[in-house]
Amino acid sequence: MLEIKDLHVQVNGVPILNGLHLTVNPGEVHAIMGPNGSGKSTLAKVIAGHPEYEVTKGTIEYEVNFKKINLLEMEPDERAKEGVFLAFQYPVEIPGVNTAVFLRAAFNELCRHQGAEEMDPIEFDEFLRSKLTLLNMEEKVINRPVNVDFSGGEKKRNEILQMAVLNPRLAVLDETDSGLDIDALRIVAEGVNKLKRKDNAVILITHYQRILNYIVPDFVHILSNGRIVRSSGKELALEVEERGYDWL
Amino acid sequence: MSATNGKSITLSSKLQDIDFGTKASVPGWLRQLRCEGRERFNQMGIPSVKDEEWKYTNVTPLAERQFHFPMEFALKEKALLKHYLNPQETNIVLVNGVYSEEFSNVKNLVKGLTVTNLTVQADNAQLKKLINLFPSTYPDVFAALNNALLQEGIFIQIDDATVVQKVIHVVHVANPTNHDTIIVPRTLISIGKSAQVDILESHVGFSSGAYFANALTDILIKENAAAHYCKAQAESKGAYHIGSTRIWQKRDSNLETFSLTVGGTLTRNNLNIILEEPGTTTFLHGLYTMKEEQHVDNHTCVEHRAPNCTSNQLYKGILDQHSRAVFNGKIIVSREAQQTNSYQLNKNLMLGSDCRIDTKPQLEIFADDVKCTHGATIGQLNEDEIFYLKSRNIPQDLAVRILARGFVDDILNRLPNQSICEKLNQLLSSAIDVLK
Repeated sequence: MLEIKDLHVQVNGVPILNGLHLTVNPGEVHAIMGPNGSGKSTLAKVIAGHPEYEVTKGTIEYEVNFKKINLLEMEPDERAKEGVFLAFQYPVEIPGVNTAVFLRAAFNELCRHQGAEEMDPIEFDEFLRSKLTLLNMEEKVINRPVNVDFSGGEKKRNEILQMAVLNPRLAVLDETDSGLDIDALRIVAEGVNKLKRKDNAVILITHYQRILNYIVPDFVHILSNGRIVRSSGKELALEVEERGYDWL
Repeated sequence: MSATNGKSITLSSKLQDIDFGTKASVPGWLRQLRCEGRERFNQMGIPSVKDEEWKYTNVTPLAERQFHFPMEFALKEKALLKHYLNPQETNIVLVNGVYSEEFSNVKNLVKGLTVTNLTVQADNAQLKKLINLFPSTYPDVFAALNNALLQEGIFIQIDDATVVQKVIHVVHVANPTNHDTIIVPRTLISIGKSAQVDILESHVGFSSGAYFANALTDILIKENAAAHYCKAQAESKGAYHIGSTRIWQKRDSNLETFSLTVGGTLTRNNLNIILEEPGTTTFLHGLYTMKEEQHVDNHTCVEHRAPNCTSNQLYKGILDQHSRAVFNGKIIVSREAQQTNSYQLNKNLMLGSDCRIDTKPQLEIFADDVKCTHGATIGQLNEDEIFYLKSRNIPQDLAVRILARGFVDDILNRLPNQSICEKLNQLLSSAIDVLK
């Protein structure tokens, strides 16, 4: 579904990723771990299409309807509409924009793209409530401006709520677990697990092994200095937890 | 047919005594008002940018144009207007400056509310008081011009202790058939002691050509009354709109004003509020959304003449492409006006790289026990916010509109009246929907 080859990326002229390879198939969960500054978040932002990240070499191919398309040529909203979703490490606060209104706009853009009928506010409200229950979230959240005055945990949960609403094919979760207490972590992980299907995939970027107790990865990759230096099964995460990154 | 049919004026030359028809019904006070207005206008003349009050808004192009008085008073775009009117409200509609029986519904008004056409208004003590509130010597050349050219106008009188539930919606429709028409909307409102009312005054244009709307509204708010006064300016693309709203507040009265500007090529909104007696509260809200070559100039002036009054103003604007905005907020606190609280904030969002904003607070404080603050901001859209929306399927242009909308949303939510809020929302949305 996703094939990253020899990816080189720089930000403001500083190279961050230096020849990264990654292949993700439908149904898989890939955990990407690594020390601070290894390029984890850069990878997430590049997949989503952040304009500040400049790809100097390499390709990202993404499969849509059995056809490979070049992700790097697409605008962020076009990627999103093809099912690429980024759960932000630091979700952005948007004052004055109501969460429910924002989510309906996002959802209806998707409907239009897929040629499906758009939902009116009443229909969408019902749909949204069912997703709130899934994440154990309070209703009042959706009537507040997007992420404004949300606690850290609420912001992260709001990202997964958006994932539940938009039902992506490829979800990139950028340190969604950081800063969550154990209860919030469990709820978020359960939410992600419930959204898991045979035909979608998850790239789970994390600093800590803890979340992998709840979302079990098929592969664990260690990122260091902008390259994947080791890939293995879920046991690799435990090793990292025990020994740190220095031995790699 | 009107007596001024085919007549025209040029503002750079001295105004002559225009023959408005010698109908016997024209009341004496109106003749006198025109005469004083004419003299005042001729004395002052059209200001240039050398005049401090007009430094950022050049109206000299208006001076050389030949303006015609409206020739027709029937409305062609009926559906558009009907869509804008709410039949549940008290609608007072003037087409090209002339009262329209067809679109107005002023029958079965609540007791204590009277609406009359100025031309048929005989001598009335309340009216006299209002007319003389701001004497012809008050330095406002376009108000003087309005007086000089006044033919029809609306007088709204709300008696003491009358609570008017339904919104009063005064609509000035410009739909001139000939180019360079001048229209002079005039509204006078007297709000009685302890009375309560919501008023929306709309200026809408259904014309493709250029015209000049020179509006004037005078409001007297008596003791302990509460008033919401909103002005919506959605003139046609080629229109010049220069309007003054002058409000006089008596003891313990409450006022909330809201001014929305989305239309016209050049707009000047003067808002002068005089807090004559103690204990008044005033909120001034303003919103403007400009694009292309549009220009809007909001000049507010709040005069604290008595102690223990509060005024609070917030104006926000969105500018796109080559548009331009001016905000000048003057606050005068006289020596007697101790314990004054006065706040002022102007916030602007620039979407285009070629727009310009001149924002200027102007505080003249003569009392020593006052709290006055002012501030202004000019900002651009946050790239992170745009990326966040785009990563959620939302394309660039829609993201810009959503964020622009979010920028002004708080101010719109302050509108106390739901029905007015919906109407202004309708106008605002159509202005925001074309932003890129």
